[in-house]
Amino acid sequence: MDARHPSLVQRQPRARRGPLSGIRVADFCWMGVGSVATRMLADFGAEVIKIESRTRLDLPRRLPLYKNDSRSFGAEDPDPDPDKGGLFNNYSRNKLGVTINMRSVEGRELAERLIAQSSVVTENFAPGVMAGWNLTYERLRALCPEVIYAHMSGFGQSGPHHTYRSYGPVVQAVSGLSFISGLPDREPSGWGLSYMDNQAAYYNSAALLMAIMHRNATGKGTEIDTSAVEVGVSLLGPDLLDVTVNARPTRRPGFPPGNRLEHPQAAPHGVYPCAGEDRWVAVAVFDDTDWHRLIEAIGNPAWTTDPRFASGSSRFAHADALDAHLAEWTRHRSPHEVMTLLQDNGVCAGAVQDARDLNEVDPQLAHRGTFFELDHPVIGPARFEGTPVTFSRIEQDNWRSAPLLGEDNAYVFSDILGLSTNEVADLAAAGVI
Amino acid sequence: MTTAQTGTAGSPPLPYSGLTVVEWAGDPAGEGTGRLLAELGADVIKIEPPQGSPTRRIGPFAHDVVSADTSLTFWYYNFGKRSVVPDGSESDQALLHRLLVGADVLLITLRPREIAAAGLDYSALLTTHPQLIILSVTAFGLDGPWADYRTCDLVGLAAGGPLASCGYDDHSIPPIRPGGNQGYHTAASFAHCGLLLALLDRQRTGAGQLVDVSMHESLAVSGELANPYWFYPKVLVHRQTCRHAQPVPTQPALFRCADDRWVYFALILADRKPWDALVAWMESLGVAADLTDTAYDDLAHRQQNFQHIQELIECLFLLQDATTAYHEGQRRGLPIGPVNAPEDVLDDEHLQARNFFTTVAFDSDLSALVPTSPYRFSSFQTVAPTRAPWLGEHTGQVLAAEEADR
Repeated sequence: MDARHPSLVQRQPRARRGPLSGIRVADFCWMGVGSVATRMLADFGAEVIKIESRTRLDLPRRLPLYKNDSRSFGAEDPDPDPDKGGLFNNYSRNKLGVTINMRSVEGRELAERLIAQSSVVTENFAPGVMAGWNLTYERLRALCPEVIYAHMSGFGQSGPHHTYRSYGPVVQAVSGLSFISGLPDREPSGWGLSYMDNQAAYYNSAALLMAIMHRNATGKGTEIDTSAVEVGVSLLGPDLLDVTVNARPTRRPGFPPGNRLEHPQAAPHGVYPCAGEDRWVAVAVFDDTDWHRLIEAIGNPAWTTDPRFASGSSRFAHADALDAHLAEWTRHRSPHEVMTLLQDNGVCAGAVQDARDLNEVDPQLAHRGTFFELDHPVIGPARFEGTPVTFSRIEQDNWRSAPLLGEDNAYVFSDILGLSTNEVADLAAAGVI
Repeated sequence: MTTAQTGTAGSPPLPYSGLTVVEWAGDPAGEGTGRLLAELGADVIKIEPPQGSPTRRIGPFAHDVVSADTSLTFWYYNFGKRSVVPDGSESDQALLHRLLVGADVLLITLRPREIAAAGLDYSALLTTHPQLIILSVTAFGLDGPWADYRTCDLVGLAAGGPLASCGYDDHSIPPIRPGGNQGYHTAASFAHCGLLLALLDRQRTGAGQLVDVSMHESLAVSGELANPYWFYPKVLVHRQTCRHAQPVPTQPALFRCADDRWVYFALILADRKPWDALVAWMESLGVAADLTDTAYDDLAHRQQNFQHIQELIECLFLLQDATTAYHEGQRRGLPIGPVNAPEDVLDDEHLQARNFFTTVAFDSDLSALVPTSPYRFSSFQTVAPTRAPWLGEHTGQVLAAEEADR
């Protein structure tokens, strides 16, 4: 062991710090939602043991987000190096990783032994997969009294559509979030990301934390059933109450309003072109005070005295003309120049930042240390998205980048489950791990 | 948290039974955080200025009647809270200090400049209330060069990154803000998790702390693929109509149906199973054309003819309405979603079977459907929301209780 590369020696599991230290999670999650949900537990001290299949690799291990190797999703490597995937690294830092072949009797026995040594079990397979391995709540309670068992699925564990397939964009469509996003009277622009993978993950993190807090206080475990579609519907916002309270459908001319803001009526309120290719800045003016700050900041050009722009309601009514004037001013300036000038004058404005801006330009994220770095034996040093919360007493415990496939088999199966080195070797030879 | 965690006999507790939160919040991020807590059993005491929270002035309004008590924006973010308006007999600070005596959490949305203007000092508060958790939810966090900058949902989404990924294929159209205050909602989700981590720490140590949540950072870590594409291959993603922003353009994923509604369907060419399911479906409706040729067994051939395949998929969906396409596609194992409007989800048989919506009485003659909390725990009762408070509705009740406690 001592002959190994120093970076590998440093990857040995160690005691964890944080409010979740001492809590072991048997984590069957994969893909986006589940992996992001359990990431927060791993970040704050839980021993999250990610259980993976060698034959059915987690998609983030396969997606071609490789360092210094740009290719599209369509150009996936047919035989990918499972340890090269950047998305997996981002999702599974601070977790342990083991491989178990759940199709084998021995594999399922091993999983049960691991569950018995854990106190939280998480999964986001299609409903029925865990039950197919006899890993029901009843069975889990027999293995581990007062277990917390969290199911994270698109549609929940019950109901006529519970077996329907989904991922972020499908959840966004079904829940109504795509429909309310776009310019009026044409197809929705919806979302350019799996917003609901993130939000469902954050809701699932909170559900797990609530369950752990409750068990700490009462000794009682729980089963959790969270449906991403239901989280999505609950996030629709005040538009949903306009439908249910006022019986005002959203399938109506002029809805959704794009970047305009009707409640409250704000103008200018939009995204304006800037110097450079496809560069933009968002500006939001809510009242007369904002308006006077804006026109002062941009040097009181003649058009601002147009009587059409004299009051808030009139500015809103003539937003097209107003937007055209403002765009003429913004288009000769950089997004950050506009943002800084307007914000320093008390006007709400923000550069439309891309990932390069966030990582290399944004002084606020740099100051707050939002992103952090960890080394990885195959990928090398990489950046990670941190927790957007700063605590005065606790901090994220970053001890390691994501596990190599099966990296912690020896530690988990020997040190935790008590198997001998020979037994572990036999399981590996038999294709069980 | 007090011992109320155990609940009364026969009535399982809610996750936050016994938790008292004093809320001094004026935007949907802070108020939305308080809503999550109130919905799950916390006693959230909302301190409002005499004219009410700023969100009380934001429409739409119930039956279009504009008043402090009819804002649907306020209603949405303040389910289940109590509202207190200082009666002027003491300063706001004095009232706050009194309310904090029995509180677990101070939920507050002031920026640094506003904290100073309000005469507040969080460190001092934590010294005098060592078990208190101060949950600060702000635009950019409590320090840093942008800490006093302003935000709103649009500006938050812009500066935080997600907006750059959202819009249309046509890049002469600016990025388009997704609807429903999702920038604020993202901050609220992290505020909820941050508070839980602090509560867990307090369970072990007894100590409170400052939890400083930044909406900007919350959005900066929620762009999904955008950051990893920059961290690893160092490429930027570009927005596309209602589908993932990608480094290079991909095929459209919205299809118009016979009833003029849309479905979302992204065909992953490399996977054989959905391909076979799709072709069988098209065959059953007589629009498979040449896709049944064995040449399409080869991935490269499918890739070369993706445009042709897309055109045939367009035909497939034009033959049926969106609801039929949704259920038939899903029956065949394809991940298809109808682009539902909010009014459509109210009639969804699946959500109905799960009792997801419940009727809330807002007034003696006004009740309406609202979603229940999406958290389902076997150990807790199902959570049904109660309406938002009228302005100052609980002033007498809360202040009287405080008097009695003194």
